Parts: sequence; C-alpha cells; structure tokens
Amino acid sequence: MNMPTTEAPAAVATLSMTGISKSFGGAAALTDVSLEVLPGEVHALLGENGAGKSTLMNVATGTIRPDRGIIAIGGEVVDVLDPREATRRGIAFVHQHPAVLPDMTVLENLLVALPASILPRGASRLDVAHELLATVGLKVHLSDRVETLSVAQKHLLEIAKALAVKPSLLVLDEPTAPLGQDSVDMLFALVRDFVAQGTSVVYITHRLAEVRELADRVTVLRDGRLRATAIVDEISDRELLSLIVGRQLDSTFPPKFDGPREGATSFAATGLTGPGFNEVSISAQRGEIIGVAGVVGNGQSDLLRALAGLASFDGAVEIEGRAVTGKELLARAAYLPADRLSEGLMMRLSVRENAAVSALRRFRSGLLISRKRELGMLGDTLGSLSVKAASLDAPVSSLSGGNQQKVMMARALLSEPVLILADEPTQGVDVGARAEIYGILREVSAAGIPVIVASSDAKELEGLCDTVIVMSRGHVVDTLRGAEITEERMIHSAVSSTTRTVNVDDVRNDGADERAAGRRASVRRFLQGDYAPPVLLAIVMLALGAFIFAQNDRYLGDFNISSMLLLTSALGFIAMGQTIALLTGGIDLSVGPLVGFLVVVGSFFILNESPTTSILLGFAAMLAASIVVGLVNGALIRYVKFTAIAATLTVYIALQGLSFLLRPTAEGFINSEVSRAITTKLGPVPIAFIVLVLVVIGLEVALRRTPWGWRLRAAGSDEESARRVGVEVNRTVVLGYVATSALTFLGAIMLMTQIGVGDPAQGVAYTLSSITAVVLGGTSLLGGRGTFVGTLFGSMLLIQVLNATVFLRLDQMWQYILQGVLILAAAILYAIARSKRRRRATARP
Amino acid sequence: MADTSMPRSLTSARVSISKGLLTVAISLVVLVVVSAILAPSSVSPGAVLGMLPFAAVLAIVGLGQMLVVQQGGIDLSVPGGVSLAVVLVTHMPNENDALLVPAVLAAFAWAIGAGLLNGFMVGRLGLNPIIATLGTNALLFGAVLGISGGIPRTTTRLLASIGGGQTLGIPHAVLFALGALILVSILVKRTVAGRRFEAVGASPAAARATGLRYRTHQGAAYVWSQLLFATAGILLAGITNQPTAFQGNTYLLTSVAVVVLGGTSLLGGRGFPVATVVAALFLSQLDQFVLALGVPFAVRTLVQAAALAIGVAIYTVNWAALRQRFARASAPAAIATP
Repeated sequence: MNMPTTEAPAAVATLSMTGISKSFGGAAALTDVSLEVLPGEVHALLGENGAGKSTLMNVATGTIRPDRGIIAIGGEVVDVLDPREATRRGIAFVHQHPAVLPDMTVLENLLVALPASILPRGASRLDVAHELLATVGLKVHLSDRVETLSVAQKHLLEIAKALAVKPSLLVLDEPTAPLGQDSVDMLFALVRDFVAQGTSVVYITHRLAEVRELADRVTVLRDGRLRATAIVDEISDRELLSLIVGRQLDSTFPPKFDGPREGATSFAATGLTGPGFNEVSISAQRGEIIGVAGVVGNGQSDLLRALAGLASFDGAVEIEGRAVTGKELLARAAYLPADRLSEGLMMRLSVRENAAVSALRRFRSGLLISRKRELGMLGDTLGSLSVKAASLDAPVSSLSGGNQQKVMMARALLSEPVLILADEPTQGVDVGARAEIYGILREVSAAGIPVIVASSDAKELEGLCDTVIVMSRGHVVDTLRGAEITEERMIHSAVSSTTRTVNVDDVRNDGADERAAGRRASVRRFLQGDYAPPVLLAIVMLALGAFIFAQNDRYLGDFNISSMLLLTSALGFIAMGQTIALLTGGIDLSVGPLVGFLVVVGSFFILNESPTTSILLGFAAMLAASIVVGLVNGALIRYVKFTAIAATLTVYIALQGLSFLLRPTAEGFINSEVSRAITTKLGPVPIAFIVLVLVVIGLEVALRRTPWGWRLRAAGSDEESARRVGVEVNRTVVLGYVATSALTFLGAIMLMTQIGVGDPAQGVAYTLSSITAVVLGGTSLLGGRGTFVGTLFGSMLLIQVLNATVFLRLDQMWQYILQGVLILAAAILYAIARSKRRRRATARP
Repeated sequence: MADTSMPRSLTSARVSISKGLLTVAISLVVLVVVSAILAPSSVSPGAVLGMLPFAAVLAIVGLGQMLVVQQGGIDLSVPGGVSLAVVLVTHMPNENDALLVPAVLAAFAWAIGAGLLNGFMVGRLGLNPIIATLGTNALLFGAVLGISGGIPRTTTRLLASIGGGQTLGIPHAVLFALGALILVSILVKRTVAGRRFEAVGASPAAARATGLRYRTHQGAAYVWSQLLFATAGILLAGITNQPTAFQGNTYLLTSVAVVVLGGTSLLGGRGFPVATVVAALFLSQLDQFVLALGVPFAVRTLVQAAALAIGVAIYTVNWAALRQRFARASAPAAIATP
C-alpha cells in the first residue's frame, strides 16, 4: 500500500512519536506506530472504531504509557511522560467526554481548571473569562451552573479551557459529534485561526468531509497499525476508504436467510424519533436479521434502548403485524446492552441468577420457585448455547467475555421474548465464541423472533445481516439489502455523511432576550443557585419568631436570645465541619462522639485549679486530638477505601470507647473563668456567636473564592473530572476531614462551657443534629454543592424550633414532630427543585 | 458444535457459604473458645441464656437493616421503629392481655406506614436515604412520645411469656429470630419478587435494562425493614419487664455494624441473612466476654470498634493490589502527618 509521502519536515516537529507499541493484557492496541505533527498543521487521524486513534493520543498526552517507542515534544525526547508533564509542555487534549464539574458554575469550572496566571484575581478576571467563552461562541452566563448546560455547551466549555492555556499542540477527539452546524462552523474557523498562529492540531475523526475541509495531512490507522500518512490534497476519497477498510476477520458466519423475498413482515418500525435518533424506519420479514451500522455513538444504542422500552419514542413499532407500545416492549423485548460490565449482567451474582432473572415466573410452582424446574430449564438453555463455566454458582464475572455474552443470550431466550436487541454482541469476545454467537442469533431469527444487531464492526454486519441501516448523528443515511451489504458500502455511507446531530440546542438564541429579561434570568439563576435555601430558612425563622413572640413576649428577652445563640454556637461549629464532609461527597458520623471526647480531654487540663500553661496545653491537646481523628477518617476513606459511613462509624464507636476509658464517670470540672471568658456577651449576643458568624463568612468566601474551596467542591462534584482537571482528590478529601474535625474542636470548646464537666456520655447526639442542620441549609448529600451560610441558618432554625416548644408550651412530642417535618419538608423541596433543574433523565439511580 | 457432542451440564450446589459467613462463623467459634478459656463464666448456661434473647432481637433488627443496605440504602429510623413498637405493645394493653393482639396489629400497621413513607421518599422521590429516614425517625419518636408521654409501662404477662419465655430450654426470642431468618431467606431466594429484589440490589442499572421495576424494589426494602424492626420491638417489650420509650436507640449503630460484619456492602449488592444473624450473635457474645473479663465499658466499646474495622477491612481492602503497591519500591508516602 501507500507508504508515507511526506516531504522532509522543514521545521522541528511539535510532536514526534516513533515506533509506538502498546498492548493491553496480551491484545495489541498499537503496533509500531509513528506519527509526526508539524507546527501550524491540522493533522487528521482517521480510522474505524478500535483502530487505535484515541489510544495513540492518550500515549501522546501521557495518560497511557507505551510498551515501546520514543516520544519527542518540540524536538526534545521525553523519557517518562505523564499528564502533568504533557500539560507543562503545551499539549492539551479535548476528550470526547468533557471533564466538567456539574455542580459548579461556568466561571468556577474555568478557575479550578486553569492556572491562576490566566485568570488573575481582580477586576479583569471576568473580562478574561468572558473572552474565553466568546472565543468558542459559548453563550452562557458565567454564574450558570454547568449541570444546566447542554452536552454541546459543555463541549464548548471544554474546548475553551483547552484553548485558554494557549497550547502548542491541541488534540481534538471527535469534537463535532455533539455539535450543531453553527458550532461546527465556529469550531472550524477557530481551528484555522489557531493553526495560523503556528500551533498544531491533531484532529481525530471518522468523517472524510471534515478531513477534507480542515486537515493538511492525514494519518490512517487500522487494527492498531499505521496504514499511511498523506497530504490530504494528494489523496482521493477512494484511496482513503481503501486504507480504512479491509480489516481481517477470521470468524465464520452462518448462511444468510434464503427464504422467499416477499414473505410476511415480522418487524416494522416507522418514523421512530426519540432521544438521540430521528425518523428511523426499518422493516424485516420473518427470518431476517436487521443490522444497525455506523460509528459508535451515532444513535444506534439510543435506538436499541428505545426499542427495549427504556426510553420514550414517537412513531410506530409493529411485531408480527401488531402494534406494540413502549411499555410492552419493556416487558417483552430482550435487550443485550453493549456494556456488559455495568448494565448487561449483575456481575456480583452467579451464572444461574443472571440467566434466570428474566424468566422467574416460568420456574414457579405454587408460590415458590421450583429449584428442580429452574435448574432443568437453565441447564438445557445454557447447555444448548454451550456456556463454559465452573458451575451454575460461579460468579458471572469469572467467565470469559464470550461466555458472559452467552449467559445474556440464555437470559434473553429463557424470557421468551418478542424481539431481541443485541448491542455490540461480540465486543470483547474471542474468535471461536463469535462464530457461536452468530449461529445462535441466526437460529433465533429462523425460529421467528425478530433480531436487531447494532455493531460498529461493519465486517460483522456484512457477514451476519440480511438488511442493514447505516446511522450517522441519529439519522439513517443508508438502507442496504442483500448484496448491497458490504463493509465498504457501510463505511462509505458513514464516513461521507454530512448530517448533523439531532436534538441539540448548543447555540441558545436568547442572548438578546437575556438582557431584555435580565431580571427574570437573574431570578431564575438565584433560585437554581446555592443561596435560595438560606433565604428560605431566614423567612421561615422570621415567621416562626414572629408567631412565638405574639404568643409570649419573653421570647425576645435578652436571656432567651443569648441562651439560644450559645446553643447555636456549639451546634453551628460542628455543623460547619459536617458541611465540609458532605461537600466532599462523604459524611462524618464521628463528629458527635468526637465533640464529647474532646471535652473529656479538656477536662484533664482545663480545671479550676489549673495554671495557665496547663489550660493552653489542654486546648492544644484537644486540637491535636481532633486533627488526628480527621486524618484517621480521611485515610480510612481514601486509602483503605472504606465507605464514609463504615469508616466514620468505626471511629464513632472507638471514640466513645476512648471517652469512657479516660473518664469512666463524669469528673473534672471545667475552669469557671475559662467558661466565663468563652461565654462573654456583647449585649445579649455571645462573643462566641459573633466568632461563629465570622468563621462562617470566612469559610463561605474561601469556598467560593479560593482554590481550596474550588478543589473541595470539585472533588465532591465529580471525582473523575476533578482528577482530570488536576485536583489531587485524595489530599483534598483527607484535608477536608481534618477541617471537619478541627471545626468540631471549636464546637467542643462551646460544649465544654455548657456541660462544665468531663462527661463521657455527652455529645453523641450532635452527629444527627449536625447532619440535620446541614441538610436544612440546602447542602447536598451527593457532594459538590452547599453553603456554610445555609448550615448556619439551619443550625439556628433547629435550635429555634427546640426552643419554640418551650415557649409555646408544647411537650417533647412536638419537638420531634417539628424536627421531622422540617427535615422531610426541606429534603423533598430541595429534591424537587433539583430535579426540575436537571431535565436530562439518568438511567442510573 | 464444540469439541464434544453434548456439552457437560452445569451443576449448582444446594448450599453456598459466603466469604462473610465463613469469616463471622470462624470468628464466633474462636470467640467462644477464647471465652471458655479466659472467662468461663461468659459461656455458662446462665450467661448464654441471658445473652441469647438480646442477640435474637439484634439479629432481627440486623436482618431488616440488611434488606435496606443490600439495595444501596440505609435505614436510620431503626430507633424510632423499634421504640414505637415497644411503646405500642406496652401502652395500648396496659397490662391487659386481651388488648395485646390489637396492639401488635397496630404496631405492624405503623411499621407499614413508616416503611411506605421511607420507601416513597427514597424509591419514588429519589431522596437520599440518610435524610429521609432521619426525618421519619424524628416523626416516629414524636409518635412514641405522643403515645407514652415518655413514661414506661409494664409488659403484659402474655407478652412476657411469649417474648421472654422458653420452650425446651430455648428462649422464644431465638425461635422468633430463626423464624425471621428462614422467612427472609425463603422470600429472597425462592420467590419471584425476592429474586428480582436481589437482582436490583446487585445492579440497579442491569436490573433496569432487563425491564425490572427497580425503584419499586428499592422502596419496598424500607417496608420490609420496618416490619422486622417492629417484630424486634415487640419481642424486646416481652423480654424487658418495663421497657423505656427510647429502647430502640442502642440498635441504630449496632444494626449497621452486624450488617457490615456479615459481609453485606454498604454500597449495595447481595445481602447475607445467615451471616448477619451470626454477626449479631458474635457481637453479643463479644459483649458478654468482655463483660465477664471485668474490663470497663470503655474497653468493650473499643473492642467493638476494632472488630468492625477488621471486618470492614476484610471485605473492602483490595489485598492483592495492596501487596503490589507495597512491592513497588518508590511508592509515595501515604499521608503527611502534621
């Protein structure tokens, strides 16, 4: 075939990779691939799915370390390349899945990902940020939460982040996939503008049209090997196509359907439109296998999901002449997802449990499942598919890919389906098992059950299917029958397609409206923002306060105010700590026993007769103990991989034990002068409460304005994305737990003055009340979003409610009922508000 | 066809023993042996008969918690649920045996109500289980105080003989616990709904892809758990002569502890009923043993914490990866100490 036809590079290559090889578990992903990217060129990387394009670029950006080969950046050979080093040397990679943090605002996403030199503190920061967004044509407000952005907008944000660091090499992986026409034009203009300044771009794509429009040179990969590198203008589409196709496939296929051409239609779908696909029509007669071809992620999986009843769709589906609804499909169609690991099989369960799960009713005799019947039917089906496993009790995760796929098939067959939908049925399946799977699909189809197979492997569809639709960006771009079904034709249709993604709203045209309806937009933004819950709480507190005051005017007396505020201070500090734990996406159950334990520790040093040095030592010991506890919690969670609940529960019990170990009974009276100093008041307001408010303000500012706050929320919002933008998640979370414990220490000082003695049984209740206060304040238990101000108000409201029952002469019952109603009302309200915001339906619970 | 004409048929064992069961069972045996050597009084018939009813109550509560935890949830309304049942069956009859049956029915009705509330909030509204059950717990305690006014009442004689009595030397509570264990095991392993329930716990995403109504199963777990909590509460009222209104408080953390010790992951997955019950026995005997040694309460609690830490570590730590990590010479220091 063609060998590289490039002339000698005039300048030093931006990136030069020579003889790169990489294999994963024995399977070669890249074999002896070389690539050279010159300054100021757009270099397209072309090839089928699995050809090794993304792997090669992951090697170039340091994410994957090659087994062999030399990488040189700017002419300098780099021995060990890791992502940070790659970034330092000016390589930026825009992944197919943007590394954005959904709970943070657009501006915060920029701030956490970009070095401070690009977005300097001060007045110019917003201008720079606006400019970055304008460069990529992203019309969103800087304080919009990224969660509310569309997929395309998130992509543009990702590109904006990559461009901001002014890289010398920009890698774009299928950048146009989620974009509409306007955005694509803008992106292309951007890329051209960019290379004109001397930067290099590697452009990974499947589409010949984009290569022609944008690229200077093109490199084609196939099966992890370099096919050719050529100058785009010197190579024809036909030549490129012949370089892409021609993959060797050793599988044998069963004979195709050879019944009469005008048989009865057994499956027909007309004008199907749904999330990710548009106006799809297919039909097949009894005995025919339908193929869905196209590059991965062009609506094939979405189509299959909809046909499985897992997503809603418009249009008609008929099976054996009868119209079926989505609900019936959910119950009667058998769906074999491409992602066996997370969606296809229950990996923790056995072969038997997996195969049986869709057909349990058939095994029933009386009320119970008959073991004999179950084993009999399972044995027959699994045997006929020749599933190889140690036993029926073997965990399904211990099987090979091919056998796992067969277990899924057995599950499908046992459920007596009306339709079988197989997404990538041979992905990760060895050659021998492939042939068997093709045979099974053919047999099922011959038995009269319609079979639809989606595959990115055109060769496979060529061998297996009787009719094939080719999808691109959600549209059917070609329908093939009989002899037309060839790999070349399918790939040709897919790569020469110029259709654009359906269902995108990337360029919102409300830019002008925004200003007109500026007030409305800012109200909406406020309601979606973090500060709506505190405002709500403030209103509730004022209303409740007014109501109680109307009943009993001693309510606002100095004594009551100062005692409420003192109680709030103890709870408040602890709840601030809890807020940090929840922001990281965890929880700290140990704060209650910790606060008790710290008081016990203090009761050894801070006594009436103690000298000043001993008192200072006491506070130091308390602080040190709290820091150790925080480190233990954090280390158990991040390094030993306990769940947050299990880790802090263990520490909870241990701390209780330690308290009783130090003080089997309540002893050690706290120095009264220290207590008096801590409870000093300014008018009716305790100084401690003022300190709490200052701490809250400080923390709030730190959370919004400092890298510490951004990293904390980033780690809690989406760990994977946070890691990709350079956040050290382990460190951040461990320090978060240390901060939680340190704030609990402040709470312990307050509690110490309240109980006045080293009592080992005190404090435990603070675990649940701190969680309650935080939740009332609107902080999410999912991590990543919340406010300290909300927690402060939550603590105040909680104390106020407990206090209210005294003034309203309600008994203890009402304390509990009011607390319960408050928690549930807040939780339900915030959940509803949040689900409205998040319109996209998620499959995973 | 493959190499042979007929592929060898796959077999299934009737009994399977999980890693968790093996761990806790061995631990229990070791503990009993150590108890017999170091503190023989802790395994005397009297001590064992005194311990077993409480272990049985903990086992039943643990089974309820396990059903929720295997669905990836957690039920913090244990104290409220147990306490409410205790209060209902002591206050409603007020030592009148004739009113015991309506009181028990009322306890189960309340349990179903509380379970539905939790299930609806978690399964339907998608609330975080920690918040939802925390709120429900507060409401249940509101009911507890509303009914009892916080004042304990004496158990009826009938309930005392049912809950606290013995047959053939076996405490009734143990029989109830065994009954609950068998019932839970059969329901989960041998009914259509139970098998689906287990599948949903093992992988909600895969369950959804096969068309199961996973949210319904996730919500239903809270109803089952409340029913078991109520059962435990009724028994507890029978065992304790004058139970307080806050009798359930001690079961919140211990219920989670026995579930974790039994090998059920807090992230959801498969539940291990037998292992959970054995873990309840283990924790109770551990208490007895440490008590018989005469060490203070503090040490008992520390031993519990250690048991929990070791238990969780056995299941969660990826030992193979850890060995590799330490094998690597230039492994970075874990964390800096201040």
